[in-house]
Amino acid sequence: MNRSISYGALVAGACLAGSALAQTPAAAPAPAPSWQQGRSADQSSSTLHPIAPILTGRPASELPTDKLKVPAGFKVEVYADGIPEARSLALGDKGTVFVSNRNLKDVYAITDQGGKRTVTKVLKGLNAPNGVAFKDGTLYVAERHRITAYDGIEDRLATPPEARVVIDNLDPQQQAGHFWKFLAMGPDGKLYYNVGAPGNIVMPAYYQATINRVDPKTGVTEVYASGVRNSVGFDWDPRTKELWFTNHARDWVSDDTPEDTLHRAARKGMNFGYPFCHQGDLLDPDFGKGRACGEFDAPAARLGAHIAPLGLRFYTGSMFPAEYRNGMFIAMHGSWNRTSKQGYNVMHASVGRDGKVTLKPFLEGFLQDAKADPPMWGRPVDVLVMKDGALLVSDDYNGIVYRVSYAK
Amino acid sequence: MTIAPTRWRRSSRRRGRLLAQSALAVAAMASCAAASAAGTDAQREKAAPCIACHGDEGRSVLAEIPSLAGQPKQFITTQLVMFREGNRKNPVMNALAAPLSNAEISELGSYFAAQSAAPAAKPLAADAAGAGRGLVEKLGCVTCHGAELKGQQHIPRLAGQRPEYLRTQLLGFKAGTRFDMDGNMTAAAQPLTPADIETLATYLSALP
Repeated sequence: MNRSISYGALVAGACLAGSALAQTPAAAPAPAPSWQQGRSADQSSSTLHPIAPILTGRPASELPTDKLKVPAGFKVEVYADGIPEARSLALGDKGTVFVSNRNLKDVYAITDQGGKRTVTKVLKGLNAPNGVAFKDGTLYVAERHRITAYDGIEDRLATPPEARVVIDNLDPQQQAGHFWKFLAMGPDGKLYYNVGAPGNIVMPAYYQATINRVDPKTGVTEVYASGVRNSVGFDWDPRTKELWFTNHARDWVSDDTPEDTLHRAARKGMNFGYPFCHQGDLLDPDFGKGRACGEFDAPAARLGAHIAPLGLRFYTGSMFPAEYRNGMFIAMHGSWNRTSKQGYNVMHASVGRDGKVTLKPFLEGFLQDAKADPPMWGRPVDVLVMKDGALLVSDDYNGIVYRVSYAK
Repeated sequence: MTIAPTRWRRSSRRRGRLLAQSALAVAAMASCAAASAAGTDAQREKAAPCIACHGDEGRSVLAEIPSLAGQPKQFITTQLVMFREGNRKNPVMNALAAPLSNAEISELGSYFAAQSAAPAAKPLAADAAGAGRGLVEKLGCVTCHGAELKGQQHIPRLAGQRPEYLRTQLLGFKAGTRFDMDGNMTAAAQPLTPADIETLATYLSALP
C-alpha cells in the first residue's frame, strides 16, 4: 500500500516536472497524525478517536467512585486526587509514592503521615516525564529524550536535587507516535525503558519498537527485546527474574483484531514481531507479505483488541489472599479504536504450570456505556504494590490514585 | 457588575499592564455587561478578566478574539492549561493563565461552557455556503468537531466563531506554528490554500 502510493507520487511528480515547470510544486503532504496513520481510505470518515485526559484533573468528590467494583473481601477507596494526568507510579524507600505525567510536565509525590496524605509537585518543566522508578534512595525519571536521577529526593521533597543525567539523546529525531517511556529497575540493577514505534504501523528504525536497558553506573545501553510496538508496563517475575511486559497492537485493522498482548522475555534478544506479525499469528496486511509469524517469539497471552494494557506488576504483598500472590495485575487503559469499547479496568493474570495465563477482572466500574463517547469516567494507567500489600491504581483521565485493600 | 474588579487588577500589575496596553480590552470594557443567565457570582468575578477581551459571557465582538461561550468545557480547560504551561504561545494569554490553579481553570471552563454561544455572522449567499459545506465535508471536519461543528470533549466549537480568529488559527496550523497537542490540525491544514482558509473561516462563522 505505502509503496504503491509513493510510486504513484513519483510518476505524478515526473509528469508535472515535464509539463508544468513554471508552477510552484505542491507542498509535500504532511503526515497524518500518528493515531490516524495506517487508516484505510474507507475508514477515513470514522469517528473513532483517542480520548484526551482532563488536564486540570477532577476532584474525586465529583465522580461516581461508588460505582467501582472489587471482588468480595476487597475495598477500594480514593488514595489521593489533585494529581492531573496521573500516569506511572513508583514507591520510595520511605513510603513516598511518586506519580508521573505524559502530556503535562510534572512529577508529584504523595506522602502519608498517619493516614493524612499530602500531594506535592516535586519536579516541574520536564518533557513528557511518563516513566518513574525508585531504587536505593534515588528516583529515576524517563522523559521523552532522557533518563535522569534524583538522589536522596525523599529526604528533600520541598527542595529536590538537580537532575543527574543517566542517559541523554533518546529521541534524536523528535519521533512521531509513541514517544513516551515507561521505566523500571530490573533485578540486574539496570533501568529498562521502551522506545515505541514512531507511528501506528510503520517500519521502525533499529532502536525503535524495542525495550532497552541502560546501566545507570556506566550509561551503556543495549536493546533487550525488539518487535515491540509499544510497551508501557513491565515487571519481573519474583521467582524466575524473567521480564514480563504488556504491548499495544496496531490500530485500524478491525474491531476484534489484532489483540493486545502480554509477553514473557526469558532472555535478551527476543523479537516479538512488529511490524510484521501481531498477536502471534496475524500477519500484518501491509508489512506481513513474505513473512511468517513463526519467525518471531509468540506472546504469552492475548488480552483483547484495543484494550490498551499499560501498567503491569507482580503481586508480592501479603495482604491479599494466596491466590493473588505471584500473579500479575494489569491496568487496561481501555479502547478507542473499537466501535464498542472495552477495558477500562484492572485485571489479575495468573500463570499456570503449563504457562497458560488466566485473566480475571479485579477493579471495574469505570466503563459506563461502551457505545458512548467518552464511554467511561476514568481510565486506569498503572498499578503499584505498597509495603502493606495494598494495591494503588492511577487514573490519568481524572488525576486520581485509588487504593485497593483486603480485609478477611 | 464591574467588568474588571479592582481587587483583581491590584493582584497583578503585570497582567493589568498587559491588558491596559491592549486597545481591544479598552474597547471591550466600554461595552456594558448584560445580566448573566448562567453561572454564579463567584464564577462571573473569576471570568471578569476574560470578558474584558472575550466579550460579555464570552461572546466576542472583537475581530481576532475568539468567543468562549458555548465551547466544550474540556476544550477551554485544556487550552488554559496549555497557555499556563507555555505550550501554546500568546503573550497575553500566557500571562493571564500563569497564576491560575487547576480548580480556577476548571471553574472558568464550567462558566463559559454554560453560556449560550455567540450569534452567527449573517447568513451567507447560497454559493458561498455551498462552497464552505463542500470543503467541510471533503476535509472531514465533522469527524472531530461534531456533526454541527459545535465541538466535543477537548475539540473546539467552530460554529459562530470569529472568522478572523479562525483564519489566524488555520494559517498557524498550516505553517506549523500553532500549538497542536496531537498533530491533527497541523496535518489537516496542510492541503488548504489561502482561498480555502477564507472560505472555511467565512462559512464556519456563519453557522448557528
